[in-house]
Amino acid sequence: MTTAGSGPTEGPAGSAAGVGDTSPAPAVRLSAITKRYGSVVACNGVDIDLAPGRVHGILGENGAGKSTLMKILIGLIQPDEGTIAIDGDIVTIADPLAAADLGIAMVHQHYSLVEPMTVWENVLLGERARLDRVAACELVATISDRYGLGVDPLARVADLTAGQRQRVEIIKCLRREPRIIIFDEPTSMLTPAESEQLFSVLRTAVVDGGRTVALVSHKLDEILHATDEVTIMRGGRVVDRSATSSATASSLAQAMVGRPVSLRSEAAALGLIDAAAAAAAFDLDDGPALEDHAPVVLEIRGATVLGSDGHKMLDDLSITVRAGEIVGLAGVEGNGQRQLGDVLSGLVHLDRGMILVSGKEIDTAKPGDLTDARVGVIPEDRHDSGCVLDMTVAENLAFGALTGLSRNGVIDRKAMEVRAEELMKAFDIQARSPNAPMGSLSGGNQQRVVLARELSADPVVLVAAQPTRGLDVGAIEYMSERIRAAAIDGVGVLLISTEIEEVLTLAHRICVIHEGRIIGEMAHHEADLERLGLMLGGVSA
Amino acid sequence: MNAFGGSLWDVVSSATMYSSTVRFAALMAFAAVGEWVAEKSGTLNISVEGMILTGAFTGALGSFWLHNPWAAVLMGVLGGLLVAAIQANMSHRLAANQFVVGLTLNVLAVGLTAFLDAQVDPTVVRVEELRIPGLASIPLIGDALFNRTWVLYLLYPLVPLAWWMVYRTRWGLEIRAVGENPQAADVSGVHVNRRRRQAIYFGGACAGLAGAYLTIGQSGSFAADGVSGRGYLALAAVIFGGWTLKGTIAGAIVFGFFQALGSAYQALGYQANPSLLTALPYVMAIATLLVFAYRSNQPAALGRPFIRGLT
Amino acid sequence: MKTRGLTVFIQYVVSIVIALALCAILVSATGGSAGKVFGALLDGSLRSPGAWGLTITTAAPLLVVAVGTIVGAKAGMSNIGQEGQLLLGAAATAYVATTFDLPGPLLLTLSFIAAIAVGGFWAGIAAVMKFTRNVPEVISTLLLIFIASQITTFGLTRKWLLLSEENTSRTNNGEPLPDTAKMPNLHIFGNLVSWGAVIALVFTVVVGLVLARTTLGFRLRMLGLNSRTARRFGVSAVGIGGGALVFSGAAAGLGGGLWLTGGAAGDRFTGAISSNIGWQGLLVALLARERVALAVPMAFVFAALRTGSGFLAATGVDRRIADVVQAMLVLALLLPPAISSLQRHRKGSGMAV
Repeated sequence: MTTAGSGPTEGPAGSAAGVGDTSPAPAVRLSAITKRYGSVVACNGVDIDLAPGRVHGILGENGAGKSTLMKILIGLIQPDEGTIAIDGDIVTIADPLAAADLGIAMVHQHYSLVEPMTVWENVLLGERARLDRVAACELVATISDRYGLGVDPLARVADLTAGQRQRVEIIKCLRREPRIIIFDEPTSMLTPAESEQLFSVLRTAVVDGGRTVALVSHKLDEILHATDEVTIMRGGRVVDRSATSSATASSLAQAMVGRPVSLRSEAAALGLIDAAAAAAAFDLDDGPALEDHAPVVLEIRGATVLGSDGHKMLDDLSITVRAGEIVGLAGVEGNGQRQLGDVLSGLVHLDRGMILVSGKEIDTAKPGDLTDARVGVIPEDRHDSGCVLDMTVAENLAFGALTGLSRNGVIDRKAMEVRAEELMKAFDIQARSPNAPMGSLSGGNQQRVVLARELSADPVVLVAAQPTRGLDVGAIEYMSERIRAAAIDGVGVLLISTEIEEVLTLAHRICVIHEGRIIGEMAHHEADLERLGLMLGGVSA
Repeated sequence: MNAFGGSLWDVVSSATMYSSTVRFAALMAFAAVGEWVAEKSGTLNISVEGMILTGAFTGALGSFWLHNPWAAVLMGVLGGLLVAAIQANMSHRLAANQFVVGLTLNVLAVGLTAFLDAQVDPTVVRVEELRIPGLASIPLIGDALFNRTWVLYLLYPLVPLAWWMVYRTRWGLEIRAVGENPQAADVSGVHVNRRRRQAIYFGGACAGLAGAYLTIGQSGSFAADGVSGRGYLALAAVIFGGWTLKGTIAGAIVFGFFQALGSAYQALGYQANPSLLTALPYVMAIATLLVFAYRSNQPAALGRPFIRGLT
Repeated sequence: MKTRGLTVFIQYVVSIVIALALCAILVSATGGSAGKVFGALLDGSLRSPGAWGLTITTAAPLLVVAVGTIVGAKAGMSNIGQEGQLLLGAAATAYVATTFDLPGPLLLTLSFIAAIAVGGFWAGIAAVMKFTRNVPEVISTLLLIFIASQITTFGLTRKWLLLSEENTSRTNNGEPLPDTAKMPNLHIFGNLVSWGAVIALVFTVVVGLVLARTTLGFRLRMLGLNSRTARRFGVSAVGIGGGALVFSGAAAGLGGGLWLTGGAAGDRFTGAISSNIGWQGLLVALLARERVALAVPMAFVFAALRTGSGFLAATGVDRRIADVVQAMLVLALLLPPAISSLQRHRKGSGMAV
């Protein structure tokens, strides 16, 4: 903390608390914060200081406790133990409004804009002052100009792109003139170019007002690129802290995971894009050698899906996947991946185009036709279409296999349990018993149930949509290995992912989706990061 | 067929028809305005039927005990609020299923008002018409709209008031946000369930007003079967209106028109089966729902409870 | 774990006591005697001669309606128009029973088939509206009650439909049922129990087994719990979901048939015959919280309140206090699960960060 010494004392934060001129009180001091959920300790005696005028990175895997910590700071969760001090004064933060009063604001990853409402209405949401449209629009315009955000206050949020929405989010946050801003995984929905722009805004915001910024992320590149100092969390504890300039990717990775990191898939999981690209420059060493004449198992021809407003969610999209091939569909979130996943799950039927599995056409309007054609799906959101939380693990494993587990329509519960036990063993699923409710399992184990069910159905095609999202490094590695193994067994895999690193390390061939259409394709060995980045942004190169 | 068509035209164009359309529509409009606000906040109150019924009864009690129409109106509003309080707190504090609670409250309201009516047997003084000079002289509709009991006139400021509250105040902004995306509203610092409870209170007050209007402005007595599904028609009116206020009011008028048609047809001496005429507004509600419900601009979180951390 | 079960149990007891106390206060405040009221309710439902037989006979239609409702609810369908479906079912039974001259068992069977068909058709309208035009079934089933009611009222004005040939009363009544269309009774310890109760129990057991043990029940539960996952595995929302809605209506129709022929509702069809049996069956289902086995005791309790209320006249308290008690009980029993589910979510919130 001594590095923050004399620099940014002229900011409002400094003037409030900077009585002593040797070392001003940190803008935020979290001391011994502990939060438990039943037997799980999400945060365990966490101490963090955030200095004014600095971008502070908080790095950790999923489940490391960083989100819980930030929710405590923003007032969404109350800590069980520990204190929060703002400018040296100990405070309690009962709810987000109280946090706002203390000058703390957060730019959320999800869930904080109301789509059918306009930008200015969203910006004012949660304010306590009278509603004044003209003043609000002016305010939005002013902030937008100052940071070069280019947002129209009268636009409906539903009509904006992911990047624009995040800028609205930032305006909403800056509008309260916060002294402390928390960015929660801010680049997950952005193109590389948009991320660059975000970091420059972030830097301006800090330099401009002597603000304190906390950047929460699990991506090493991001932390190395955009922060001044970094705190690393693991298993609810702070395990390391350092100045970013003295850290390296591998030192950070090691601290975050708790052991040396070498495997390529792990590098990908941690967001080490350079490592992933380096790996991609070689052949897939342990990967399957793809036969040139392997049969096409999945063919999507001119798929078009219209949204409720007539907008094309999928626009004449065509992809083929051969047996044993992993095709990576890269793209920034919200470019039609969800709709494609739904189509391949039999949940949305095509307005135009067709799908062929092993050369046979599928009736997308008929529920279960894809499942019957042995198309396995690991859905983007398993709670949405991958499992039923209120049914048991055994029942969840039996979806799609009911015919084999029943006689004359009567289910053989014993056979169902036996099968479940086998699969639980084979896929290392941790659950009390096969009859435990699905909802009682951890996210990683739920994902294994989905994986076990889909792979045990002997699929011809496996669609894996964001298969590693929200998992920790170990689980990511497991998932990647399983997908690779499935391909070696001859399954055609369509990997839909927003993580470029994941696509680079796993896929034989990479397609890029933008606004519902494929705008480019490249083989694994000719993968070129720069070109890929351009395509993700919508430039066909 | 020709004779039927002719008689239908006579009925539709009669002054009685305008008058009774307004009479029936007003009851549903009072309730539907409140329900519209509640649905904007993402909560669907089946209990609007029970709120009207309770308001009708407490309104009758007010008239009987206090001999003052204003007190009766106030009592009606309080009756609606009482039901709203149970609905709001059970479904948006304790997260009991809102349909189950609403349904039970309707059954409770029927039983309780019938029981108490038998025990107390309140007599009600009906409020006389108050003619608004000038406006009442507008041809065709003047008499129907401006020569009524003053209780009905409360509807005229209520409608723009509700619109202003929802679209021009911070409260309304939060109500809409809570109905569309409660998670977003929550992280922005809006108290989601509190706003929903408040919206239900508003709905309850309006429905109670509807009940008081029914008792002291319209029928001059309390009948336990007097609401007979018109709360449900108010719900249908909101859907009919595609969650816009003017559409909701239009829905109330359309359903009121068919109800009036049923009663006016006979009053004018034409022969038609009374049961089929009584069923007319419900049949029309079904028919209009078939035409209008297939629109997607309903509040995205309508009918879904909000519990923080549960998405 | 054990203390939690105990806490929930205490919560249930406390809420029921509060609900009954509120009812008692209500009775006392209106000049009645709460003790006498509860005594009369018990006499009417259980203690007086032949009472529990009548209560069981009354419970039969409630149970059938409730079980049907549970099937709908399990598939995610909120049918709340049982009152109308039941009324039409009773009307169809009356029409068949008074129109055709057939031997007893055949006549009853045919009447019930008509009841089932009509009740199912009425719910089917809501199903078609839902799946073709996206009309919420919560609203459509409710509105259909009022249309059903007017249709039967209309039927009671026409002799070729439901009106009795020699109707003399001002309120139109149906033709008295022939003896062949009256459900026979079992004689148990001096009580008459309608065979309808047996039908209801068998129906309950069969439905319970189908839900718990068969692939059909499995798919139905899947659809109700997560419709998108279900559809992915070939469960058709229209087929299974719509089917469940129709089934719940059909069950309500059958309930109407059992109610009319059971003898507890008089010997003929009238416009007021359903008298909340449909609503109460729905409440039984809600209270049973989607568990078929729980519906049996709940139906009995509700039937007891119903038959018991017949004895209230002597106490000078209006019989509709029984309706109040029923609704208060429902509200009371809704509270503990709502509280514990809220606690569970509070505890669980933020787990998956």
